[in-house]
Amino acid sequence: MSVWPEERVTPNSDLDTVDMTVNVGPQHPATHGVFRMVLTVDGERVVDCEPYIGYLHRGLEKLSENADYRQAMGWWDRTDYLAGMCCEGAYVMAVEKLAGIEVPERAEYIRVLMMELSRINSHFMFLGAFGADVGSFGTSFTYAWRERERIYDLIEEVSGDRMFPTYFRIGGITMDLPENFESRCRWVLGSIRQGLEDLDGLLTGNEIFVERCQGLAPVTPEQAIAWGFTGPMLRATGVPWDIRKAEPYSVYPQMNFEIPTGHQGDVFDRFHVRLAEVYQSARIIEQCLDEMPAGRVLAPKLAKTLRIDDGELYMPTEGTKGEYGVYLMARGGTQAYRAKLRAPSFSNLSPLKELVVGTYVADAIVILGSLDIVLGEVDK
Amino acid sequence: MTFGDAFFGLSWLDAIIRVLIIVGAMTVVVVYLTWGERKVIARFQMRLGPTRTGPVGLLQGVADALKLLSKEDLRPRNADRWVFEFAPYLTFIPVFLVLVALPFARDWGVRNLALGMFFVFAVLGLNIVGVLMAGLGSGNKYALLGGVRAAAQMISYEIPLVVALLAVAMVAGTLDLNAIVLQQADRPFVLIQPLAFVIFFTAMLSELHRAPFDIPVAESEIVGGYFVEYSGIRWSMFQLAEYASLWAFSIFGSVVFLGGWEFPMGLEWGWGWQLALTFIKSFIIIGLIFWVRVTLPRLRVDQLMSFCWKVLIEVSFVLLLVNGLFLVYEWPEELLALANWAGTFVLLGAVYLHATRKPERKNLVGSYKHAEVPTP
Amino acid sequence: MSDEEQSVEAEPAIATLVRGRLPDVPFEASKTKSYADLRIAPGHFLALVTGLRDDDELAFDLLRNIVSLDMEDEGLWAKYHFYSFKHGHALQVTVPTPPGAPTIPSLTALYPAANWHEREAAEMMGLVFEGHPDPRNLLLEEDLRIHPLRKAHPLQKAEILQGIEDGPPGVEV
Repeated sequence: MSVWPEERVTPNSDLDTVDMTVNVGPQHPATHGVFRMVLTVDGERVVDCEPYIGYLHRGLEKLSENADYRQAMGWWDRTDYLAGMCCEGAYVMAVEKLAGIEVPERAEYIRVLMMELSRINSHFMFLGAFGADVGSFGTSFTYAWRERERIYDLIEEVSGDRMFPTYFRIGGITMDLPENFESRCRWVLGSIRQGLEDLDGLLTGNEIFVERCQGLAPVTPEQAIAWGFTGPMLRATGVPWDIRKAEPYSVYPQMNFEIPTGHQGDVFDRFHVRLAEVYQSARIIEQCLDEMPAGRVLAPKLAKTLRIDDGELYMPTEGTKGEYGVYLMARGGTQAYRAKLRAPSFSNLSPLKELVVGTYVADAIVILGSLDIVLGEVDK
Repeated sequence: MTFGDAFFGLSWLDAIIRVLIIVGAMTVVVVYLTWGERKVIARFQMRLGPTRTGPVGLLQGVADALKLLSKEDLRPRNADRWVFEFAPYLTFIPVFLVLVALPFARDWGVRNLALGMFFVFAVLGLNIVGVLMAGLGSGNKYALLGGVRAAAQMISYEIPLVVALLAVAMVAGTLDLNAIVLQQADRPFVLIQPLAFVIFFTAMLSELHRAPFDIPVAESEIVGGYFVEYSGIRWSMFQLAEYASLWAFSIFGSVVFLGGWEFPMGLEWGWGWQLALTFIKSFIIIGLIFWVRVTLPRLRVDQLMSFCWKVLIEVSFVLLLVNGLFLVYEWPEELLALANWAGTFVLLGAVYLHATRKPERKNLVGSYKHAEVPTP
Repeated sequence: MSDEEQSVEAEPAIATLVRGRLPDVPFEASKTKSYADLRIAPGHFLALVTGLRDDDELAFDLLRNIVSLDMEDEGLWAKYHFYSFKHGHALQVTVPTPPGAPTIPSLTALYPAANWHEREAAEMMGLVFEGHPDPRNLLLEEDLRIHPLRKAHPLQKAEILQGIEDGPPGVEV
């Protein structure tokens, strides 16, 4: 059975030419993971684009049905592997809401702090890799990586692991923050602000960068909503919707932060929205550090193995790429009856063909980079 | 016996010895250019570059060469065999021919051609054939894309390159490279023809497939472009050609614009100082090239082509006309220099204004300094 | 999973609103731990969703999520989550299909976002979405006809899944 689209003769042309299919294969430095797209190009213009996903499908949902609620969390932070704590947070908050467990306030603040650090981590990854996609030979990469290494050091201090921390527990977090974490965290925030200035100076003011990105693949808010865009993709079109403000959870109602938006939803606006969001996340982290109460970090009197009676819920959270939603259905017992991940990158990636057709091959790569997908959550 | 006389009095032996010296020098320079590039770019990117192979990583180039020599020589089944195998040589030979015509010091050069500059232009075009052969002969669509892009780019940018250099040749009154150097005893041509230097530098970056014009070898899109199917020693021929042409162009640029081996005090202080001057000046230009590479993102192919055909060619022809006017009417040289500097400022000023003109960039909502919450 | 309608006073406000705006569409309302849930048969589903999207007071313009469920004896179900930017309210719609006939009309014409969600639900669970423009497998191999998320395929049992045809999609042999 053929997995290649058929080659078609270029219409409306005096020359008898055939469009060329170019496979931007699963192994490629530009595709941010195992993702394959088959571009049909007419010269340098893209005429058709067929995305193929599923190379990283690991059966998250089936696995979650066969493990305890507590055990399953270990798989969930491997979905958006660039921001492990955000995914853990979403899953754990969904289970707690379903089971009716209340989390101590200190744990909530620490959770928000960790989730925002992960968000900054993921956005720096985007900023670095996007500069590399546009062609700036990795200078943006190393600038972004300096900040990411510092954040990884913080996360490792707190939980013992850099990428897959499994730091959250149902009912709180594993253990309290280490001593003097606050001073180190504030130092890292200062460094993050400096890193943002560096990246801004390197890329945003650069004429070539602006020429490459501005006006590329603009999206109107109606189109974005119809396609299911959420997160920075939607905010770049001008819709100021952030689940942390619209359907707030944890201690976000007490946090002061703003929602950066763009104008026309093109690639440059998406870049800029993510750049601004890092600054807002830094504000939230500072507020967490300032306001953190003392107290327990794990809810008292938790059962050894959690059993949840019949119930279902859908918990949307603001993941780093958009709306990271967890749907859980429990029917008694220690295991979920159905656990579903609503992955933001999945919806952001689905209209790739409409975004890319009509642009150049080089632009297709840049647009793909601007979607900021992470294949772990696309493929579950 | 000075270096100016033929070796052993035999002109054929003399040619062979000089060629071998040039080949040896080029190999060493290329190996250390790869090391130098990695160190310089690493420092720009807040990292160290090669550190383990030898002190400060100095043996990295040698290590790379050894590794490449020991690799399997692959050839894809779909590749057109003879086209595939001859392409690297055709890319490398023109570079070497350019080195034959360049003067490194007063009498240090393989041959001093009376039409030196013209010879350099002529052999540059052969490079394109090699690149195109590599792209077409690889049996790979990425290579094809890269080869075609490269051919279009190189052909287009030859025009402003040649025209700008012709303008300088007009002012110098000769195509002989040694004579051009001698004319710069008082002042390097960059001071009286800065516009030509700017055009030459930009066009040279494009001929070398260097950022921001490196779309034929765009790492992040088509992973190597026209040389993606080559491995081992054949690939190293391409790299050798790239770095050797980098060095050759830099020497050419320093000879024509920066005063070559002559300025300052070249003739008085002998051939040691002259050689040192050549190398220092060429490394200045190479340093500039590295700096530009590490900083700027790449231009897309249509932007690249439109920049060439809509901006550079016009400017270079205007330069040629203005130079011609000044020379025909024998107006003083200072006025010519003034006109050139004015032209440079106009060009760079126009680029600057173009870069800062967009109103949308000024009023970005959510710029991290002034994030605001729009009312729904 | 509560499957009897709550008393009228406890019916969620959003359900009352929908009932008022779309009186001809028969559904049952209930509450979940997060959103109100409307349960509707596949036959009336398209009418409900068109009303949810087009009506001014409802204006559900974002289709967030489609979940496919294997409720064993009760058949295959699908749950849809909607959100309205204009009014800020959210909703869940459940579509239970009878065992042996897992067909639901596709929402791709109304919400392009449904395209990939429905493909995933179809390949993982075996639901058939009528009118879907491109019903190929998305995450799994192109020729796999097994539906892995069904309870009939337990995780612990090792199975050879390659090349097994179990009849037309939606019906497992």
